[in-house]
Amino acid sequence: MGTSKKVVIIGGDAAGMSAASVAKRKDPNLQVIVFERGPHTSYSA
Amino acid sequence: MARTPEEFRTKQQIDVRVLHEVVGIDPKAGRVRVVDLSANREWWEPYDHLLIATGAVPLRPKVPGADAAGIYGVHTLESGIRLRKILDESRPARAVIVGGGYIGLEMAEAFLLRGMQVSLVEKAPQVMGTLDEDMAVHIAQALTDRGVTLHLNEGLEAFEVRDGRVRAVITSQRSLETDIVLLGMGVVPNTDLAREAHIPLGERGAVRVDRRMATQVEGVWAAGDCAESFHRLTGRPIHVALGTVANRHGRVAGMNMAGGEASFSGVLGTAVTRICSLEIARTGLQTRELEALGRSFVSRTIESHTRAGYFPGSGRIHVKLLADSDTGAVLGAQIVGEEGAAKRIDVMAAAITAGLTAQEVSELDLGYAPPFSPLWDPLIIAARLLAKDAP
Repeated sequence: MGTSKKVVIIGGDAAGMSAASVAKRKDPNLQVIVFERGPHTSYSA
Repeated sequence: MARTPEEFRTKQQIDVRVLHEVVGIDPKAGRVRVVDLSANREWWEPYDHLLIATGAVPLRPKVPGADAAGIYGVHTLESGIRLRKILDESRPARAVIVGGGYIGLEMAEAFLLRGMQVSLVEKAPQVMGTLDEDMAVHIAQALTDRGVTLHLNEGLEAFEVRDGRVRAVITSQRSLETDIVLLGMGVVPNTDLAREAHIPLGERGAVRVDRRMATQVEGVWAAGDCAESFHRLTGRPIHVALGTVANRHGRVAGMNMAGGEASFSGVLGTAVTRICSLEIARTGLQTRELEALGRSFVSRTIESHTRAGYFPGSGRIHVKLLADSDTGAVLGAQIVGEEGAAKRIDVMAAAITAGLTAQEVSELDLGYAPPFSPLWDPLIIAARLLAKDAP
């Protein structure tokens, strides 16, 4: 399980950023990329 | 409030790329097509797990003139900032709001606070369709008292446009001259990407997911306003576009994508809002939903006070409880009242989750002191009366 997996998230709002935060906390080796078409991310998670 | 992309990057090592749009999903190859909007660059980005969190988009009316300038929706931080700038700069005197739901009512308050003249058009016979009609009348009364002109039972038919700008809202009954129009007609899941990639959709066009927030396509997950939820009481799929639900979805999807085990526990449709000083709350199933399910139920509506009647700041509160007429289990609750009313709904959300009967709710050991409630909390009074009609 040494290879780090990659998570891609489409959308940097409440759901996307919550998921990104939780995934990264659960597995710090995970590569997490969030694509957001707007200029902001939103909601603290 | 909002955390910036830089904070996500430096504090959590999350690679956030704003102004990047995903324009296609290729689930077979496990990759997405990305466009960097600021650099005009495009490429395929591979993934092991993909989360679709594309949100919802406001319903745009398909009526003549709907593309005119001066017609706004508020569904993102940017659209809210843009509208505020316009209000600050051009100081419109009149607003017509189309739709009497959460967005419509919250924006009515914002416009009133700016001293604007506000009319609200709603095609249903009541505002706030997520509450029963006998509870919504209290909201309508409060809106009228605060100066909002309500036009219920009036469908939007067209916008009158002059020089490319909206001048009036034409309803089935009248023409309302205005400076700006605010659309609060609800939202639909933004699932074009998912549909094009043949990822199955479900309730109201939201992405179909299981309780782990997995779609029916391997490696693809969905969360937030674009994804389905399920109702705790019926087990049926339901689409709820709320920030609380989106955060809960996101946590479950994030945990599972990282190799953990998490399951979404469903929704009761709990929601609260406020229009000026009037607080509005609901949870569980309302009359319309129970009738559609063919459930036999009883309901009770009471009027009481938010604090001890003699205590300064005590205000009116209306509580409606609904229960299964065979088992007595509480199925729904609605509250409309002054300060301190709304968050009482959380007691009922907990009670419904625990499967408590009206009798059991009436026996709850709730807190009392004059600043917080009458000796008998309004929930206790309503539950006690309801228990007389249900076992």
